[in-house]
Amino acid sequence: MAERLTKFSAAMDRLYEFDREAVTPDKLQSGGKFAGLFAGEHVAATEFVIGAFFVLHGVSARDLLLGLLFGNLLAVLSWTFICAPIAVRTRLTLYWYLRKIAGPGVTLIYNIANALMYCILAGAMISVSATAVGLLFKIKVPELDAVFPASAGWVAIVFVFGAAFTAMAILGFEKLSRFASVCSPWIFAVFVAGAVGALSKLGVTPDLANLGSVLTTKVWNGVAVAGQEKFGFWHILFFAWFCNLAMHVGLSDMALFRYARKWTYGLYTAFGMYPGHMLAWICSGIMVAAVGRQMNPGLMAFEAAGAAGIGAVVLAGWTTANPTLYRAGLALQTVTPNWPRWKITLLAGTATTVLACFPVFFMKLLDYVALYGLILMPIGAIVFTEHWIFPLLGLEQFRAEKRGWAFHWGVLGVWLGTLAVCFLLPLHLYYKWLPGWFIAAAAYTALTAAARRTS
Amino acid sequence: MKIALAIASILSLVLCLAAPILFFLDAMSEANFKLVLLLASLAWFFLSVPWASYRAKKS
Repeated sequence: MAERLTKFSAAMDRLYEFDREAVTPDKLQSGGKFAGLFAGEHVAATEFVIGAFFVLHGVSARDLLLGLLFGNLLAVLSWTFICAPIAVRTRLTLYWYLRKIAGPGVTLIYNIANALMYCILAGAMISVSATAVGLLFKIKVPELDAVFPASAGWVAIVFVFGAAFTAMAILGFEKLSRFASVCSPWIFAVFVAGAVGALSKLGVTPDLANLGSVLTTKVWNGVAVAGQEKFGFWHILFFAWFCNLAMHVGLSDMALFRYARKWTYGLYTAFGMYPGHMLAWICSGIMVAAVGRQMNPGLMAFEAAGAAGIGAVVLAGWTTANPTLYRAGLALQTVTPNWPRWKITLLAGTATTVLACFPVFFMKLLDYVALYGLILMPIGAIVFTEHWIFPLLGLEQFRAEKRGWAFHWGVLGVWLGTLAVCFLLPLHLYYKWLPGWFIAAAAYTALTAAARRTS
Repeated sequence: MKIALAIASILSLVLCLAAPILFFLDAMSEANFKLVLLLASLAWFFLSVPWASYRAKKS
Protein backbone atom coordinates (compact mmCIF):
# COMPACT_ATOMS: atom_id res chain seq x y z
CA MET A 1 0.00 0.00 0.00
CA ALA A 2 2.75 2.43 1.05
CA GLU A 3 4.74 1.50 -2.05
CA ARG A 4 1.75 2.08 -4.32
CA LEU A 5 1.07 5.43 -2.70
CA THR A 6 4.67 6.46 -3.18
CA LYS A 7 4.40 5.47 -6.85
CA PHE A 8 1.14 7.41 -7.27
CA SER A 9 2.43 10.50 -5.53
CA ALA A 10 5.66 10.44 -7.56
CA ALA A 11 3.62 10.23 -10.77
CA MET A 12 1.37 13.02 -9.55
CA ASP A 13 4.33 15.23 -8.72
CA ARG A 14 5.80 14.72 -12.20
CA LEU A 15 2.53 15.90 -13.74
CA TYR A 16 2.51 19.10 -11.76
CA GLU A 17 6.26 19.55 -11.92
CA PHE A 18 5.99 22.55 -14.21
CA ASP A 19 4.32 24.60 -11.49
CA ARG A 20 6.23 23.26 -8.53
CA GLU A 21 8.33 26.39 -8.14
CA ALA A 22 6.78 29.60 -6.87
CA VAL A 23 6.04 32.08 -9.66
CA THR A 24 8.93 34.48 -10.18
CA PRO A 25 8.37 38.29 -10.40
CA ASP A 26 9.12 38.39 -14.15
CA LYS A 27 6.17 36.03 -14.79
CA LEU A 28 3.57 38.22 -13.09
CA GLN A 29 0.66 39.35 -15.26
CA SER A 30 -1.13 42.67 -15.62
CA GLY A 31 -4.60 43.38 -14.30
CA GLY A 32 -5.96 43.64 -17.85
CA LYS A 33 -5.00 40.00 -18.49
CA PHE A 34 -6.98 38.96 -15.41
CA ALA A 35 -10.00 41.00 -16.49
CA GLY A 36 -9.94 39.35 -19.93
CA LEU A 37 -9.44 35.88 -18.49
CA PHE A 38 -12.37 36.12 -16.09
CA ALA A 39 -14.62 37.80 -18.66
CA GLY A 40 -14.07 34.86 -21.01
CA GLU A 41 -14.29 32.09 -18.44
CA HIS A 42 -17.74 32.81 -17.07
CA VAL A 43 -19.90 32.72 -20.18
CA ALA A 44 -20.50 28.99 -20.46
CA ALA A 45 -23.19 26.64 -21.76
CA THR A 46 -24.46 26.20 -18.22
CA GLU A 47 -25.45 29.90 -18.17
CA PHE A 48 -28.27 28.97 -20.59
CA VAL A 49 -29.61 26.58 -17.95
CA ILE A 50 -28.99 28.45 -14.69
CA GLY A 51 -30.80 31.69 -15.56
CA ALA A 52 -33.67 29.69 -17.02
CA PHE A 53 -33.98 27.59 -13.88
CA PHE A 54 -34.37 30.74 -11.77
CA VAL A 55 -37.49 31.52 -13.81
CA LEU A 56 -38.80 27.96 -13.36
CA HIS A 57 -38.18 28.26 -9.63
CA GLY A 58 -40.52 31.24 -9.51
CA VAL A 59 -38.13 33.90 -8.27
CA SER A 60 -39.47 37.45 -8.38
CA ALA A 61 -37.69 40.15 -10.42
CA ARG A 62 -36.70 42.11 -7.31
CA ASP A 63 -35.29 39.04 -5.54
CA LEU A 64 -33.40 38.06 -8.66
CA LEU A 65 -31.76 41.43 -9.23
CA LEU A 66 -30.84 42.01 -5.59
CA GLY A 67 -29.76 38.40 -5.09
CA LEU A 68 -27.48 38.45 -8.14
CA LEU A 69 -26.11 41.88 -7.28
CA PHE A 70 -25.10 40.96 -3.73
CA GLY A 71 -24.35 37.27 -4.35
CA ASN A 72 -21.89 38.10 -7.11
CA LEU A 73 -20.39 40.82 -4.94
CA LEU A 74 -19.78 38.24 -2.20
CA ALA A 75 -18.17 35.94 -4.79
CA VAL A 76 -15.86 38.75 -5.96
CA LEU A 77 -14.97 39.56 -2.34
CA SER A 78 -14.28 35.88 -1.63
CA TRP A 79 -11.78 35.79 -4.48
CA THR A 80 -10.29 39.08 -3.30
CA PHE A 81 -10.02 38.44 0.44
CA ILE A 82 -9.72 34.64 0.65
CA CYS A 83 -8.14 33.21 -2.48
CA ALA A 84 -5.94 35.96 -3.95
CA PRO A 85 -4.03 36.90 -0.76
CA ILE A 86 -2.92 33.29 -0.12
CA ALA A 87 -1.98 32.84 -3.78
CA VAL A 88 0.03 36.09 -3.86
CA ARG A 89 1.85 35.27 -0.62
CA THR A 90 2.73 31.68 -1.56
CA ARG A 91 2.89 31.96 -5.39
CA LEU A 92 1.93 28.27 -5.45
CA THR A 93 -0.98 26.27 -6.84
CA LEU A 94 -3.43 24.71 -4.41
CA TYR A 95 -1.96 21.34 -5.36
CA TRP A 96 1.50 22.12 -4.01
CA TYR A 97 0.28 24.11 -1.04
CA LEU A 98 -2.16 21.37 -0.02
CA ARG A 99 0.62 18.81 -0.39
CA LYS A 100 2.64 20.68 2.24
CA ILE A 101 -0.36 20.82 4.56
CA ALA A 102 -2.10 17.49 4.03
CA GLY A 103 0.49 15.18 2.48
CA PRO A 104 0.49 13.50 -0.95
CA GLY A 105 -2.14 10.89 0.01
CA VAL A 106 -4.84 13.42 0.86
CA THR A 107 -3.85 15.48 -2.19
CA LEU A 108 -4.35 12.37 -4.32
CA ILE A 109 -7.86 11.84 -2.92
CA TYR A 110 -8.63 15.53 -3.48
CA ASN A 111 -7.48 15.19 -7.09
CA ILE A 112 -9.68 12.18 -7.75
CA ALA A 113 -12.72 13.89 -6.20
CA ASN A 114 -11.99 16.96 -8.32
CA ALA A 115 -11.68 14.86 -11.48
CA LEU A 116 -15.06 13.21 -10.92
CA MET A 117 -16.64 16.60 -10.33
CA TYR A 118 -15.10 17.93 -13.54
CA CYS A 119 -16.42 14.94 -15.51
CA ILE A 120 -19.97 15.52 -14.29
CA LEU A 121 -19.73 19.25 -15.07
CA ALA A 122 -18.40 18.57 -18.57
CA GLY A 123 -21.19 15.99 -18.97
CA ALA A 124 -23.79 18.65 -18.16
CA MET A 125 -22.24 20.90 -20.81
CA ILE A 126 -22.43 18.13 -23.41
CA SER A 127 -26.10 17.59 -22.50
CA VAL A 128 -26.83 21.30 -22.98
CA SER A 129 -25.18 21.25 -26.41
CA ALA A 130 -27.11 18.09 -27.30
CA THR A 131 -30.42 19.92 -26.79
CA ALA A 132 -29.45 22.25 -29.65
CA VAL A 133 -28.78 19.51 -32.17
CA GLY A 134 -31.66 17.42 -30.84
CA LEU A 135 -33.91 20.23 -32.00
CA LEU A 136 -32.76 19.83 -35.61
CA PHE A 137 -33.56 16.11 -35.53
CA LYS A 138 -36.78 16.61 -33.53
CA ILE A 139 -35.47 14.50 -30.66
CA LYS A 140 -37.38 15.01 -27.46
CA VAL A 141 -35.42 16.76 -24.72
CA PRO A 142 -35.70 14.99 -21.33
CA GLU A 143 -38.37 16.10 -18.88
CA LEU A 144 -37.49 18.27 -15.88
CA ASP A 145 -37.60 15.33 -13.47
CA ALA A 146 -35.89 12.86 -15.81
CA VAL A 147 -33.04 10.78 -14.43
CA PHE A 148 -32.45 8.28 -17.24
CA PRO A 149 -32.16 8.98 -20.98
CA ALA A 150 -35.59 9.13 -22.61
CA SER A 151 -34.69 7.90 -26.07
CA ALA A 152 -32.02 6.22 -28.14
CA GLY A 153 -31.83 9.40 -30.22
CA TRP A 154 -30.79 11.42 -27.16
CA VAL A 155 -28.09 8.87 -26.31
CA ALA A 156 -26.86 8.89 -29.92
CA ILE A 157 -26.55 12.70 -30.00
CA VAL A 158 -24.79 12.79 -26.64
CA PHE A 159 -22.34 10.14 -27.83
CA VAL A 160 -21.61 12.04 -31.05
CA PHE A 161 -20.98 15.24 -29.06
CA GLY A 162 -19.02 13.43 -26.39
CA ALA A 163 -16.83 11.76 -29.03
CA ALA A 164 -16.29 15.06 -30.88
CA PHE A 165 -15.46 17.03 -27.73
CA THR A 166 -13.15 14.28 -26.48
CA ALA A 167 -11.39 14.02 -29.83
CA MET A 168 -10.79 17.77 -29.87
CA ALA A 169 -9.53 17.69 -26.28
CA ILE A 170 -7.10 14.90 -27.23
CA LEU A 171 -5.90 16.59 -30.42
CA GLY A 172 -5.60 19.93 -28.65
CA PHE A 173 -4.76 21.81 -31.83
CA GLU A 174 -3.41 25.27 -31.22
CA LYS A 175 -5.78 26.68 -33.83
CA LEU A 176 -8.75 25.13 -32.06
CA SER A 177 -7.77 26.74 -28.78
CA ARG A 178 -7.38 30.08 -30.58
CA PHE A 179 -10.83 29.57 -32.07
CA ALA A 180 -12.20 28.84 -28.58
CA SER A 181 -10.66 32.05 -27.26
CA VAL A 182 -12.62 34.19 -29.71
CA CYS A 183 -15.92 32.46 -28.91
CA SER A 184 -16.58 34.13 -25.53
CA PRO A 185 -17.37 37.70 -26.68
CA TRP A 186 -19.59 36.34 -29.44
CA ILE A 187 -21.45 33.93 -27.13
CA PHE A 188 -22.08 36.83 -24.77
CA ALA A 189 -23.36 38.93 -27.72
CA VAL A 190 -25.76 36.11 -28.67
CA PHE A 191 -27.06 35.97 -25.08
CA VAL A 192 -27.85 39.69 -25.24
CA ALA A 193 -29.20 39.50 -28.82
CA GLY A 194 -31.45 36.57 -27.91
CA ALA A 195 -32.83 38.35 -24.86
CA VAL A 196 -33.50 41.59 -26.76
CA GLY A 197 -35.16 39.60 -29.54
CA ALA A 198 -37.24 37.65 -27.01
CA LEU A 199 -38.50 40.85 -25.37
CA SER A 200 -40.52 41.63 -28.51
CA LYS A 201 -42.11 38.19 -28.40
CA LEU A 202 -43.04 38.71 -24.78
CA GLY A 203 -44.92 41.86 -25.80
CA VAL A 204 -42.54 44.59 -24.68
CA THR A 205 -43.27 47.70 -26.76
CA PRO A 206 -40.43 49.61 -28.49
CA ASP A 207 -40.90 52.58 -26.13
CA LEU A 208 -40.24 50.21 -23.16
CA ALA A 209 -43.36 51.57 -21.43
CA ASN A 210 -44.48 48.10 -20.34
CA LEU A 211 -41.02 46.57 -19.77
CA GLY A 212 -41.40 46.43 -16.00
CA SER A 213 -44.83 44.87 -16.07
CA VAL A 214 -43.84 42.26 -18.69
CA LEU A 215 -40.74 41.26 -16.74
CA THR A 216 -42.65 40.95 -13.46
CA THR A 217 -45.68 39.15 -14.89
CA LYS A 218 -44.30 37.02 -17.72
CA VAL A 219 -40.67 36.35 -16.77
CA TRP A 220 -39.88 36.56 -13.05
CA ASN A 221 -43.47 36.47 -11.87
CA GLY A 222 -42.83 34.75 -8.55
CA VAL A 223 -44.68 31.56 -9.55
CA ALA A 224 -42.70 28.31 -9.68
CA VAL A 225 -43.58 25.70 -12.29
CA ALA A 226 -45.05 22.42 -11.03
CA GLY A 227 -42.52 20.28 -9.19
CA GLN A 228 -39.97 23.07 -8.72
CA GLU A 229 -39.15 24.61 -5.37
CA LYS A 230 -40.01 28.30 -4.93
CA PHE A 231 -36.86 30.44 -4.76
CA GLY A 232 -36.44 33.77 -3.02
CA PHE A 233 -33.73 36.37 -2.45
CA TRP A 234 -31.52 34.19 -0.23
CA HIS A 235 -31.54 31.25 -2.67
CA ILE A 236 -30.33 33.52 -5.47
CA LEU A 237 -27.77 35.31 -3.28
CA PHE A 238 -26.28 32.05 -2.05
CA PHE A 239 -26.34 30.46 -5.50
CA ALA A 240 -24.48 33.39 -7.07
CA TRP A 241 -21.99 33.26 -4.20
CA PHE A 242 -21.29 29.51 -4.22
CA CYS A 243 -21.52 28.97 -7.97
CA ASN A 244 -17.70 29.06 -8.10
CA LEU A 245 -17.14 28.05 -4.49
CA ALA A 246 -14.44 25.53 -5.36
CA MET A 247 -12.55 28.31 -7.15
CA HIS A 248 -12.66 31.08 -4.54
CA VAL A 249 -13.36 29.73 -1.04
CA GLY A 250 -12.11 26.31 -2.20
CA LEU A 251 -8.91 28.06 -3.41
CA SER A 252 -8.58 26.30 -6.81
CA ASP A 253 -7.97 29.69 -8.41
CA MET A 254 -4.68 30.00 -6.52
CA ALA A 255 -3.40 28.55 -9.80
CA LEU A 256 -4.37 31.82 -11.51
CA PHE A 257 -3.79 34.36 -8.76
CA ARG A 258 -0.24 33.24 -8.10
CA TYR A 259 0.51 35.27 -11.25
CA ALA A 260 -1.16 38.41 -9.84
CA ARG A 261 0.99 41.40 -8.87
CA LYS A 262 -1.32 42.24 -5.96
CA TRP A 263 -4.03 40.46 -4.03
CA THR A 264 -6.45 43.22 -5.06
CA TYR A 265 -6.47 41.63 -8.52
CA GLY A 266 -9.22 39.47 -7.05
CA LEU A 267 -11.51 42.39 -7.81
CA TYR A 268 -11.02 41.69 -11.53
CA THR A 269 -13.29 38.66 -11.12
CA ALA A 270 -16.13 41.20 -11.28
CA PHE A 271 -15.48 41.24 -15.06
CA GLY A 272 -16.57 37.61 -15.12
CA MET A 273 -19.29 37.70 -12.51
CA TYR A 274 -21.41 40.65 -13.61
CA PRO A 275 -21.53 40.01 -17.38
CA GLY A 276 -21.53 36.20 -17.07
CA HIS A 277 -23.27 35.39 -13.82
CA MET A 278 -25.64 38.31 -13.83
CA LEU A 279 -26.39 39.58 -17.32
CA ALA A 280 -26.18 36.18 -19.07
CA TRP A 281 -28.45 34.59 -16.42
CA ILE A 282 -30.95 37.43 -16.82
CA CYS A 283 -30.82 36.95 -20.62
CA SER A 284 -31.43 33.20 -20.41
CA GLY A 285 -34.34 33.86 -18.03
CA ILE A 286 -35.96 36.12 -20.63
CA MET A 287 -35.34 33.52 -23.35
CA VAL A 288 -36.95 30.67 -21.38
CA ALA A 289 -39.99 32.82 -20.62
CA ALA A 290 -40.39 33.47 -24.37
CA VAL A 291 -40.69 29.71 -25.05
CA GLY A 292 -43.34 29.11 -22.40
CA ARG A 293 -40.88 28.08 -19.68
CA GLN A 294 -39.67 24.93 -21.44
CA MET A 295 -36.25 23.87 -20.11
CA ASN A 296 -34.68 23.32 -23.50
CA PRO A 297 -31.58 25.49 -24.06
CA GLY A 298 -31.48 24.62 -27.78
CA LEU A 299 -35.10 25.65 -28.32
CA MET A 300 -34.66 28.81 -26.20
CA ALA A 301 -31.66 29.95 -28.20
CA PHE A 302 -33.14 29.00 -31.58
CA GLU A 303 -36.42 30.79 -30.98
CA ALA A 304 -34.63 33.87 -29.66
CA ALA A 305 -31.66 34.11 -32.03
CA GLY A 306 -32.17 31.60 -34.86
CA ALA A 307 -29.32 29.51 -36.23
CA ALA A 308 -26.76 31.72 -34.45
CA GLY A 309 -28.46 30.74 -31.19
CA ILE A 310 -28.02 27.04 -31.97
CA GLY A 311 -24.36 27.72 -32.76
CA ALA A 312 -23.94 29.60 -29.49
CA VAL A 313 -25.32 26.70 -27.43
CA VAL A 314 -23.06 24.18 -29.18
CA LEU A 315 -19.95 26.37 -29.00
CA ALA A 316 -20.63 27.40 -25.40
CA GLY A 317 -20.81 23.69 -24.56
CA TRP A 318 -17.65 22.84 -26.42
CA THR A 319 -15.49 25.76 -25.26
CA THR A 320 -16.25 25.01 -21.63
CA ALA A 321 -16.34 21.19 -21.82
CA ASN A 322 -12.97 21.14 -23.57
CA PRO A 323 -10.82 22.67 -20.78
CA THR A 324 -12.94 20.84 -18.19
CA LEU A 325 -12.11 17.51 -19.86
CA TYR A 326 -8.45 18.52 -19.97
CA ARG A 327 -8.44 19.31 -16.24
CA ALA A 328 -10.28 16.07 -15.45
CA GLY A 329 -7.69 14.18 -17.48
CA LEU A 330 -4.84 15.92 -15.68
CA ALA A 331 -6.33 15.09 -12.29
CA LEU A 332 -7.10 11.47 -13.25
CA GLN A 333 -3.63 10.93 -14.64
CA THR A 334 -2.39 10.81 -11.06
CA VAL A 335 -3.95 7.36 -10.59
CA THR A 336 -2.81 5.94 -13.90
CA PRO A 337 0.94 6.37 -13.87
CA ASN A 338 2.68 6.00 -17.21
CA TRP A 339 -0.50 6.39 -19.22
CA PRO A 340 -0.07 8.89 -22.07
CA ARG A 341 -2.18 12.06 -22.01
CA TRP A 342 -4.40 10.94 -24.92
CA LYS A 343 -5.37 7.72 -23.17
CA ILE A 344 -6.37 9.38 -19.92
CA THR A 345 -8.29 12.13 -21.75
CA LEU A 346 -10.09 9.37 -23.67
CA LEU A 347 -10.98 7.71 -20.35
CA ALA A 348 -12.21 11.01 -18.89
CA GLY A 349 -14.12 11.78 -22.10
CA THR A 350 -15.77 8.35 -22.14
CA ALA A 351 -16.81 8.66 -18.49
CA THR A 352 -18.08 12.18 -19.17
CA THR A 353 -20.06 11.05 -22.23
CA VAL A 354 -21.71 8.21 -20.32
CA LEU A 355 -22.62 10.63 -17.50
CA ALA A 356 -23.98 13.13 -20.06
CA CYS A 357 -26.53 10.56 -21.23
CA PHE A 358 -28.23 10.87 -17.85
CA PRO A 359 -30.23 14.09 -17.95
CA VAL A 360 -30.37 14.25 -14.16
CA PHE A 361 -27.01 16.04 -14.12
CA PHE A 362 -28.21 18.86 -16.31
CA MET A 363 -31.78 18.98 -15.02
CA LYS A 364 -30.46 19.14 -11.44
CA LEU A 365 -27.57 21.41 -12.34
CA LEU A 366 -28.26 23.93 -9.58
CA ASP A 367 -28.13 21.23 -6.91
CA TYR A 368 -25.04 19.69 -8.50
CA VAL A 369 -23.22 23.05 -8.47
CA ALA A 370 -24.08 23.36 -4.77
CA LEU A 371 -22.76 19.86 -4.03
CA TYR A 372 -19.60 20.43 -6.07
CA GLY A 373 -18.68 23.48 -4.01
CA LEU A 374 -19.73 21.88 -0.74
CA ILE A 375 -17.61 18.75 -1.22
CA LEU A 376 -14.39 20.69 -1.93
CA MET A 377 -15.05 23.58 0.47
CA PRO A 378 -13.57 21.99 3.65
CA ILE A 379 -10.16 21.74 1.99
CA GLY A 380 -10.27 25.49 1.33
CA ALA A 381 -11.18 26.10 4.97
CA ILE A 382 -8.30 23.90 6.16
CA VAL A 383 -5.75 25.65 3.94
CA PHE A 384 -7.07 29.08 4.99
CA THR A 385 -6.80 28.10 8.66
CA GLU A 386 -3.30 26.72 8.34
CA HIS A 387 -2.17 29.80 6.41
CA TRP A 388 -3.69 32.58 8.53
CA ILE A 389 -4.93 31.21 11.86
CA PHE A 390 -2.07 28.88 12.81
CA PRO A 391 0.62 31.62 12.88
CA LEU A 392 -1.69 33.78 15.02
CA LEU A 393 -2.19 30.97 17.53
CA GLY A 394 1.44 29.86 17.44
CA LEU A 395 0.51 26.48 15.95
CA GLU A 396 3.05 24.69 13.80
CA GLN A 397 2.44 24.91 10.05
CA PHE A 398 3.11 22.27 7.37
CA ARG A 399 3.45 19.35 9.75
CA ALA A 400 2.75 16.83 6.96
CA GLU A 401 5.67 18.14 4.93
CA LYS A 402 8.05 18.46 7.88
CA ARG A 403 7.32 14.97 9.22
CA GLY A 404 7.00 13.29 5.82
CA TRP A 405 3.42 12.15 6.37
CA ALA A 406 1.74 10.60 3.33
CA PHE A 407 -1.67 11.14 4.90
CA HIS A 408 -2.48 13.86 7.35
CA TRP A 409 -5.34 11.94 8.95
CA GLY A 410 -6.47 15.08 10.76
CA VAL A 411 -7.09 16.86 7.45
CA LEU A 412 -8.88 13.84 6.00
CA GLY A 413 -10.97 13.46 9.17
CA VAL A 414 -11.94 17.14 9.24
CA TRP A 415 -12.82 17.06 5.53
CA LEU A 416 -15.06 13.98 5.81
CA GLY A 417 -16.40 14.97 9.23
CA THR A 418 -17.41 18.41 7.97
CA LEU A 419 -19.25 16.85 5.05
CA ALA A 420 -21.06 14.48 7.42
CA VAL A 421 -22.10 17.36 9.69
CA CYS A 422 -23.19 19.44 6.68
CA PHE A 423 -25.29 16.53 5.46
CA LEU A 424 -27.06 16.41 8.83
CA LEU A 425 -27.52 20.17 9.19
CA PRO A 426 -31.22 21.03 8.96
CA LEU A 427 -30.59 23.69 6.31
CA HIS A 428 -31.31 24.04 2.61
CA LEU A 429 -28.53 22.53 0.48
CA TYR A 430 -27.54 26.01 -0.72
CA TYR A 431 -26.86 27.30 2.79
CA LYS A 432 -24.98 24.32 4.25
CA TRP A 433 -21.52 25.31 3.04
CA LEU A 434 -21.29 28.52 5.09
CA PRO A 435 -21.59 26.98 8.58
CA GLY A 436 -19.61 24.04 7.15
CA TRP A 437 -16.66 26.34 6.43
CA PHE A 438 -16.56 27.57 10.04
CA ILE A 439 -17.00 24.02 11.34
CA ALA A 440 -14.05 22.82 9.25
CA ALA A 441 -11.86 25.77 10.30
CA ALA A 442 -12.73 25.37 14.00
CA ALA A 443 -12.38 21.58 14.00
CA TYR A 444 -8.99 21.68 12.25
CA THR A 445 -7.68 24.34 14.63
CA ALA A 446 -8.96 22.45 17.69
CA LEU A 447 -7.52 19.17 16.45
CA THR A 448 -4.10 20.68 15.80
CA ALA A 449 -4.09 22.49 19.17
CA ALA A 450 -5.05 19.24 20.92
CA ALA A 451 -2.28 17.36 19.09
CA ARG A 452 0.25 19.97 20.25
CA ARG A 453 -0.84 19.57 23.87
CA THR A 454 -0.59 15.78 23.60
CA SER A 455 2.89 15.92 22.08
CA MET B 1 -3.74 44.50 -41.51
CA LYS B 2 -3.99 43.79 -37.83
CA ILE B 3 -5.83 47.06 -37.16
CA ALA B 4 -8.19 46.46 -40.08
CA LEU B 5 -9.00 42.99 -38.76
CA ALA B 6 -9.56 44.39 -35.28
CA ILE B 7 -11.93 47.10 -36.51
CA ALA B 8 -13.83 44.72 -38.78
CA SER B 9 -14.13 42.12 -36.00
CA ILE B 10 -15.51 44.64 -33.54
CA LEU B 11 -17.92 45.99 -36.16
CA SER B 12 -19.26 42.49 -36.80
CA LEU B 13 -19.86 42.08 -33.08
CA VAL B 14 -21.61 45.46 -32.97
CA LEU B 15 -23.79 44.27 -35.85
CA CYS B 16 -24.67 41.16 -33.81
CA LEU B 17 -26.04 43.50 -31.14
CA ALA B 18 -27.58 46.05 -33.51
CA ALA B 19 -29.74 43.50 -35.35
CA PRO B 20 -31.91 42.52 -32.33
CA ILE B 21 -32.26 46.18 -31.34
CA LEU B 22 -33.56 47.02 -34.82
CA PHE B 23 -35.95 44.07 -34.58
CA PHE B 24 -37.10 45.22 -31.16
CA LEU B 25 -37.71 48.73 -32.53
CA ASP B 26 -39.80 47.23 -35.38
CA ALA B 27 -37.26 48.48 -37.92
CA MET B 28 -36.42 44.94 -39.06
CA SER B 29 -38.40 41.73 -39.49
CA GLU B 30 -37.66 38.71 -37.31
CA ALA B 31 -36.38 36.70 -40.28
CA ASN B 32 -34.00 39.49 -41.28
CA PHE B 33 -32.81 39.94 -37.69
CA LYS B 34 -31.89 36.27 -37.46
CA LEU B 35 -30.22 36.33 -40.88
CA VAL B 36 -28.17 39.43 -40.07
CA LEU B 37 -27.20 37.92 -36.71
CA LEU B 38 -26.05 34.73 -38.43
CA LEU B 39 -24.04 36.57 -41.09
CA ALA B 40 -22.47 38.94 -38.56
CA SER B 41 -21.59 35.91 -36.41
CA LEU B 42 -19.85 34.20 -39.34
CA ALA B 43 -18.02 37.45 -40.08
CA TRP B 44 -16.87 37.62 -36.45
CA PHE B 45 -15.28 34.18 -36.65
CA PHE B 46 -13.69 34.75 -40.07
CA LEU B 47 -12.17 38.03 -38.88
CA SER B 48 -11.40 37.49 -35.22
CA VAL B 49 -9.50 34.19 -35.58
CA PRO B 50 -6.75 35.79 -37.76
CA TRP B 51 -6.85 38.84 -35.46
CA ALA B 52 -6.24 36.52 -32.50
CA SER B 53 -3.37 34.92 -34.43
CA TYR B 54 -1.72 38.33 -34.85
CA ARG B 55 -2.12 39.00 -31.13
CA ALA B 56 -0.72 35.56 -30.27
CA LYS B 57 2.34 36.18 -32.47
CA LYS B 58 2.90 39.54 -30.80
CA SER B 59 2.76 38.07 -27.28
